[in-house]
Amino acid sequence: MVIAVASGKGGTGKTTVAAHLALSSSKNRRTLLVDLDVEAPDASGYFPEAEPDEEPRTVSVLMPELVESKCTACGLCARSCRFGAILAIGGIVTIDQKVCKGCGRCVAVCPTNALVEKPKPVGKTTSLTAGKLGLLEGRMDIGDIRSTVVIEAAKDCATGIGAAVQIRDCPPGVSCPATHSIEGADYVILVAEPTEFSIHDLKAAMKLTRERGIPTGVVINKDGFGDADVAGYCERECVPVIGRIAFLRERAATGATAALWRDDPTICGEMDRILDLLLSGAGTERAL
Amino acid sequence: MTTVSIASGKGGAGKTSISAALASTLGTSCIFADCDVDAANGAIALGAMAGVAEPYFAGLGFSIDSPACTGCGACHEACRFGAIEPAPGGDAFRIVPELCERCGACADRCPVKAIVRYEKQAGELFVSNTRHGMTLVHADLEPGEDTSGKLVALVRKRAEKLAGPDSVIVVDAPPGIGCPVIASITGSDLVVIVVEASASGIRDAARLAELAMTMKRRSIAIINKTGLNAGMDDRARSMLAGAGIPLAGEIPFDPKLRSAEESNRTWADIDCRSTGRIRAALDAVAGAVRKLKEKP
Repeated sequence: MVIAVASGKGGTGKTTVAAHLALSSSKNRRTLLVDLDVEAPDASGYFPEAEPDEEPRTVSVLMPELVESKCTACGLCARSCRFGAILAIGGIVTIDQKVCKGCGRCVAVCPTNALVEKPKPVGKTTSLTAGKLGLLEGRMDIGDIRSTVVIEAAKDCATGIGAAVQIRDCPPGVSCPATHSIEGADYVILVAEPTEFSIHDLKAAMKLTRERGIPTGVVINKDGFGDADVAGYCERECVPVIGRIAFLRERAATGATAALWRDDPTICGEMDRILDLLLSGAGTERAL
Repeated sequence: MTTVSIASGKGGAGKTSISAALASTLGTSCIFADCDVDAANGAIALGAMAGVAEPYFAGLGFSIDSPACTGCGACHEACRFGAIEPAPGGDAFRIVPELCERCGACADRCPVKAIVRYEKQAGELFVSNTRHGMTLVHADLEPGEDTSGKLVALVRKRAEKLAGPDSVIVVDAPPGIGCPVIASITGSDLVVIVVEASASGIRDAARLAELAMTMKRRSIAIINKTGLNAGMDDRARSMLAGAGIPLAGEIPFDPKLRSAEESNRTWADIDCRSTGRIRAALDAVAGAVRKLKEKP
């Protein structure tokens, strides 16, 4: 089963929930925690004992390079590029690899085969082990914009590793990185907090999971931290609240160090309950 | 015109609250550009009143006209983004709009021209008045749309159009360090890096600081949520010192701060134990902005 932990708003506690769920799940079954927040990967920080299984794998995108001797400066490549990555002015063709998405369209339209593709690294994936838990981290290179390529590579790696339960730690937002991260999941857990900001962003995230037809439940984190009625909002939207983590200052203090609440019976019980609910298939009927 | 962008790497570090408080400190003549178009909370933070909306079109999209599709799979092979899948039924293909990058490589390869173009509204752009007096430019991206960077650029362009020569534009950036963040801090005169005093917050802010440096942007930092763990506070300070980023101030964690958004106040005019520290940090950023206005 693939469970994606997501949210519209950042900082609601996605990584915290994903890490604790993964830890709970790993006690009884082969579990893989997949960090798809490739712009800000923080899940492995919760497991300082984790050891890499192998050298990180480089994620690359095929980028066109110009073979000037073959180029007739016809400009077809520049006209075909939808990302404005190719300029053909005054008989000179220049390619901006920073903007190129590596779709390969220019290469296909070039009548003289003057464009050749070469892999350019955009990030890496790392497989680690922390006790009984497997971890897979996607990490985009700083300055790059192709986060979705790294996300897809990490998803492929995770499938290759194979696990009874895969917990994905997704990026915030509702645009391409978030969409790619929830795609293929059996269930989406949206982590929300009781603030107006969070409810506003939860609305967009629910719309996304509904459009993609993925069963969805909400975990209310920092419960009691604010007065905004997240639970009431979920009820009106007919999305179940499947768990709650109460706000305690001590929890915020240990959470700041990315230490797991391993010995907190309330948290462990809540995580086990959520997993039982999802693995038994209850609450996984498609949201309408 | 001076542009100051507030970013953090990690989400939930306090970007929007600090942006709103900074705007309130700079005065009603500044313009607030909410560039977190995925999760736009500037309107809540500043109390936006009904604004002028205009549709946002992301550019041409592609879809497969299923009666014409012969199911040859050439498009599926051409697509580098995994956005083309067999349609239910199995004798045709379909494009998953949420995964499509709109490159058009599939349309070139289709032997029967079954791939059609369409233009669809992908969101809305707003210019609103706010209860706090400053003008707010904000946008709502349709969930699942893939052009957040383009919409960010549009929000900034609109803010620049409204700005006078002496105006300050406050850009509230999205989390992360990817495309929409780069669009948010490109050309900014000053990047305010909000560092959450937590292990994750510090790591993500360090990645952002490196991005700002490679983009040759001047940076200043505010450490938020201090006082929870002294070790983390120190680690945040030494990360910034190591990166050579000046510290405008620190904001102690205070549960009272989150109620600001519900009481239509910003952090600059809420009354709690952290108030003095917040004002000092904001004044330091405002001072840096003033200096830039005098000597860009």
